[in-house]
Amino acid sequence: MTVFENKEKMQAVLGGLFEKLLADPEFGPKFVKSGITIKFNISDPNAELWVTPGDGTHGQVAWGSHADKATVEMTLSGDTCHKFWLKQIAMPIALAKGLIKAKGPMPKILKLLPLLKPAYEAYPEWARSHGLPVD
Amino acid sequence: MIGYTELNIDLTKAQNAMKEETHRFAREVLRPASIELDKIDDPETVIKSPLFWETMKQGYDLGYHTIFLPDSYGGLATDPLETHIVLEELAWGSVDFAIGLGISCFPAFFASMVPSDRLIDDIIEPFCQCSDASLIGCWGITEPDHGTDTLSPFTATFADPAISGQTRARREGDEWVIDGQKAAWVSNGTIATHCLLYPTLDPSRGMAGGGICIVPLDLPGVKKGRPLDKLGQRALNQGEIYFDGVRIPSEYMLVDPESYESMLDVTLSTANAAMGALFVGVARAAYEEALAYAKQRIQGGKPLFEHQMIKHKLFSMFMKIEAARALSRAAMIYNYNNTPPMIQYSIASKVYCTNTAFEVASDAVQIYGGNGVSREYPLEKFFRDARAAMIEDGANDSLMITAAHHL
Repeated sequence: MTVFENKEKMQAVLGGLFEKLLADPEFGPKFVKSGITIKFNISDPNAELWVTPGDGTHGQVAWGSHADKATVEMTLSGDTCHKFWLKQIAMPIALAKGLIKAKGPMPKILKLLPLLKPAYEAYPEWARSHGLPVD
Repeated sequence: MIGYTELNIDLTKAQNAMKEETHRFAREVLRPASIELDKIDDPETVIKSPLFWETMKQGYDLGYHTIFLPDSYGGLATDPLETHIVLEELAWGSVDFAIGLGISCFPAFFASMVPSDRLIDDIIEPFCQCSDASLIGCWGITEPDHGTDTLSPFTATFADPAISGQTRARREGDEWVIDGQKAAWVSNGTIATHCLLYPTLDPSRGMAGGGICIVPLDLPGVKKGRPLDKLGQRALNQGEIYFDGVRIPSEYMLVDPESYESMLDVTLSTANAAMGALFVGVARAAYEEALAYAKQRIQGGKPLFEHQMIKHKLFSMFMKIEAARALSRAAMIYNYNNTPPMIQYSIASKVYCTNTAFEVASDAVQIYGGNGVSREYPLEKFFRDARAAMIEDGANDSLMITAAHHL
């Protein structure tokens, strides 16, 4: 049994999380300024999630194929995604163990990590509000 | 002028400029300093020399200590191809300084994988902003009784409880307490301010029961040995570090046994890929000197280069270097762009390029004849530098066994 029962549920939770974060006055501009385009290749359920700097003023969340080239590409399962945002699994460990496969220059990936802090902070409450287990 | 044709037709203007600028620094600063420091008998005198520190400071001022670190902290954040280009050029000038500058980032590099506010404030940002070499990192992994033992992740002996490390860390409340000793081969060991330390946390798991932590080396209980007196790379400071009840905050323990083997795999992949790039630079340095010498040295009434045997030898050296660069660039670009990496490619690069550097330097000495073994010429230094590399960062023969497990 996977955490996200279907793609729609995952889109609502993860897409919604990033949309909320990109609208945040602190996170949004920082992410846009970083110039990083992240592509998440998610399995179980299968989906491609893009988080991009958009037009350079407002970041954008998109699903499926996308015209942009990813700076960093993360391949992981929906369950690993959930655990990752709950901080039940650390990025370096997940990378080292192959739970997350990353493509992109290491300094770009490392640059991304502190940017994601607000997502870690927001996710437990966000996931709970969508009826997902958080313990 | 750089002595090889760039075969990558996609290199940008900025990347070409980076190559030229690094080469200039290597030619004008690193090479002369490294040759001068190589003449000093006592390694203690090397690290007391103003020339050593002036050279390190210039390297820091140009940011070469931060090539692996994100620009958001002030690092150079070179991409994998650029990293290869920079390392090759730095090592062309001086592999000893190139390794010293490269290793220095290890504590900050690993801290940036788990960037808590404290680690950013204490370790990462101060290191990236340092331009006077007052903050220097080192990599403390091998021990007096454990060399190859420490660098064989995912092999059968690595998890043998009968073989475990001499440097131990135990948890006490919110701190880790460290006791033991790291080997004389810790690069930057006696000049470092911070150590990326690989202690044993759970001996019942053998060498696989390790952890990775950052130890500020001004803490009570840290003692350093004398700088190692060694064959080559004499401007690369190496030496023991002793730990006697050294206490670090729990936040400084970055990796525990659960993920130690995997993170060691990442460490070795990163370091071995870098070694490949560095020793292409050493091979090229020896080859270029030999080629220039062969074109002006007259024997048998004509330049050495006009003798078929010498020509043949030089072309063989040229081919090996081009092959080494192609392999090491490919391995670095793949492994620095993909996590987890494929360690067998990094090891193939390290082994092939260090063997190549040794063979090319040896041939270069031979072309120089008697002058090749004279300390008046740089060839014998390149030869010694290359020989040390066949053991450094893992002995080539045992690394090949480790890599073969992945075939």
